[in-house]
Amino acid sequence: MALVSADSRIAELLTELHQLIKQTQEERSRSEHNLVNIQKTHERMQTENKISPYYRTKLRGLYTTAKADAEAECNILRKALDKIAEIKSLLEERRIAAKIAGLYNDSEPPRKTMRRGVLMTLLQQSAMTLPLWIGKPGDKPPPLCGAIPASGDYVARPGDKVAARVKAVDGDEQWILAEVVSYSHATNKYEVDDIDEEGKEHTLSRRRVIPLPQWKANPETDPEALFQKEQLVLALYPQTTCFYRALIHAPPQRPQDDYSVLFEDTSYADGYSPPLNVAQRYVVACKEPKKK
Amino acid sequence: MSELKDCPLQFHDFKSVDHLKVCPRYTAVLARSEDDGIGIEELDTLQLELETLLSSASRRLRVLEAETQILTDWQDKKGDRRFLKLGRDHELGAPPKHGKPKKQKLEGKAGHGPGPGPGRPKSKNLQPKIQEYEFTDDPIDVPRIPKNDAPNRFWASVEPYCADITSEEVRTLEELLKPPEDEAEHYKIPPLGKHYSQRWAQEDLLEEQKDGARAAAVADKKKGLMGPLTELDTKDVDALLKKSEAQHEQPEDGCPFGALTQRLLQALVENKPFSVPHTKSLESRIKEELIAQGLLESEDRPAEDSEDEVLAELRKRQAELKALSAHNRTKKHDLLRLAKEEVSRQELRQRVRMADNEVMDAFRKIMAARQKKRTPTKKEKDQAWKTLKERESILKLLDG
Repeated sequence: MALVSADSRIAELLTELHQLIKQTQEERSRSEHNLVNIQKTHERMQTENKISPYYRTKLRGLYTTAKADAEAECNILRKALDKIAEIKSLLEERRIAAKIAGLYNDSEPPRKTMRRGVLMTLLQQSAMTLPLWIGKPGDKPPPLCGAIPASGDYVARPGDKVAARVKAVDGDEQWILAEVVSYSHATNKYEVDDIDEEGKEHTLSRRRVIPLPQWKANPETDPEALFQKEQLVLALYPQTTCFYRALIHAPPQRPQDDYSVLFEDTSYADGYSPPLNVAQRYVVACKEPKKK
Repeated sequence: MSELKDCPLQFHDFKSVDHLKVCPRYTAVLARSEDDGIGIEELDTLQLELETLLSSASRRLRVLEAETQILTDWQDKKGDRRFLKLGRDHELGAPPKHGKPKKQKLEGKAGHGPGPGPGRPKSKNLQPKIQEYEFTDDPIDVPRIPKNDAPNRFWASVEPYCADITSEEVRTLEELLKPPEDEAEHYKIPPLGKHYSQRWAQEDLLEEQKDGARAAAVADKKKGLMGPLTELDTKDVDALLKKSEAQHEQPEDGCPFGALTQRLLQALVENKPFSVPHTKSLESRIKEELIAQGLLESEDRPAEDSEDEVLAELRKRQAELKALSAHNRTKKHDLLRLAKEEVSRQELRQRVRMADNEVMDAFRKIMAARQKKRTPTKKEKDQAWKTLKERESILKLLDG
């Protein structure tokens, strides 16, 4: 029953989104006119080679209008993006509900682990669609945006992706990509699911769980929310679901770019791999002491 | 009119994102009617495109704000020529010509402090241009930039401690030294008054007397039987009091002799009571005799005091007061002496300052001469030496 109502709600939201997008474009075409005026005034000022007070006041007026327009445009765009986030979270809830319903249905065998390729595509998509943090002027990037760490008392919610340090059968410790199932305040422990083999659950204390960022940092507006060159991080090795220690080689230049990192690798002469690309989503700060 | 090259604006290119090229999905969705709607699978691409649009709009907003701020400041602070540095570099639309003159101005500026710099002559040249243009605009009240005030406040707060001593202050010190008149008061020991029990007894009796008189008046009015109280006379009161006082002075057990007399009599006389007149004086005479013979130590004062705690305390406090006043007096003397010394040194310092000025004058004359490329005259040299020597002598006095 819950699934059906979620569907209709999603349909509603999609329609609202459609409307918002249309509104956005109206706003943008309206402000286009003013921007063209500004451009013309600039050109005239530059050709005449002098700044008269007339031009100054005119420019000021034009700038003020443009500011108001830009603000309005930003507002609608933010509303549209929020709408998308809402839809996505509903979809996520639906997925988790389906998973739980599936768990209780013991007659069905557990789903076979999905093919590697499918998993990798999913991971890539998740990284790409991580929302970009675009702050209003004066806003600072929040915790879990890019390299900004979570606040000390943050508890990851069910469905959040995390890097979890688990003990493998042979006693080795590894950081794996996992999804949070639940958190128990009584014992202060998380229950996480390895994203790779569905069904393999671990119960871990908070120290062994690092939440992955929930926003991408925009290199153009908030470069301080990115890891810098030579910083030590835990990054997801491409085509795997495990995190390893790495040094940042280069931070992303544009919002949709990846980090370029050097993984610690004893099989190479200098101890580091050649630069590999890892999305912002899968790079977190490394707090581990040197592994044995 | 100001030249273009003085303009701090950067003339950004405020073109909005061409969504047809950069955001295909967005454009496609726009083209659709509401019935077709958006598919869930399109959400991701839409999100990315919307993010691009938002980020460019945000950037535009930020730049616009910065530029308007510059414009406003530039218009307001015409005479001051303060340019705000933009936080980021933009390559769009700013001809290279802007970069260089701006840098030169910024170097010459460095805040509002004094100091000659390459910026200064430039601003002087441009001043007339700005001024003639000022007439056309409304005179805007230039908000005065608050000067860095902290050192002034500091020196103001420290001033009372470092200021010169004036003769007035010396006089005040001398006044302080005069011994206060009420000192004698503090050292008096007030005599023991009537013991409180006696005083209260007397007061009580007087009260009763008053009551009695009142009762008598009432009784007269009423013509009632208030007999016994009315009989009480002042005379009787006094007689009663005298009796009780007499009783106080005598030992309780009825023996008329003083303590010493008793002991002596006990030692010398067998149990034969007899009465002797003037028992009080007998007691004191015996005491004096015993002390004279060296048989009894003269305890006189302390014996009394050990019982009188208040007196003991009073004496203690008086001693303290005496010591403290003496201490204060010495300190005030010292202070006065130091103040007088300091005053004389101040005068010397003043003379040093004047000598400094003279030396500086002589120096300036010599420098002027040197600048005119002629050697300073003997007169100037002599004067310079004279002033220098004078200054040295005063300094020696000061240090010595």
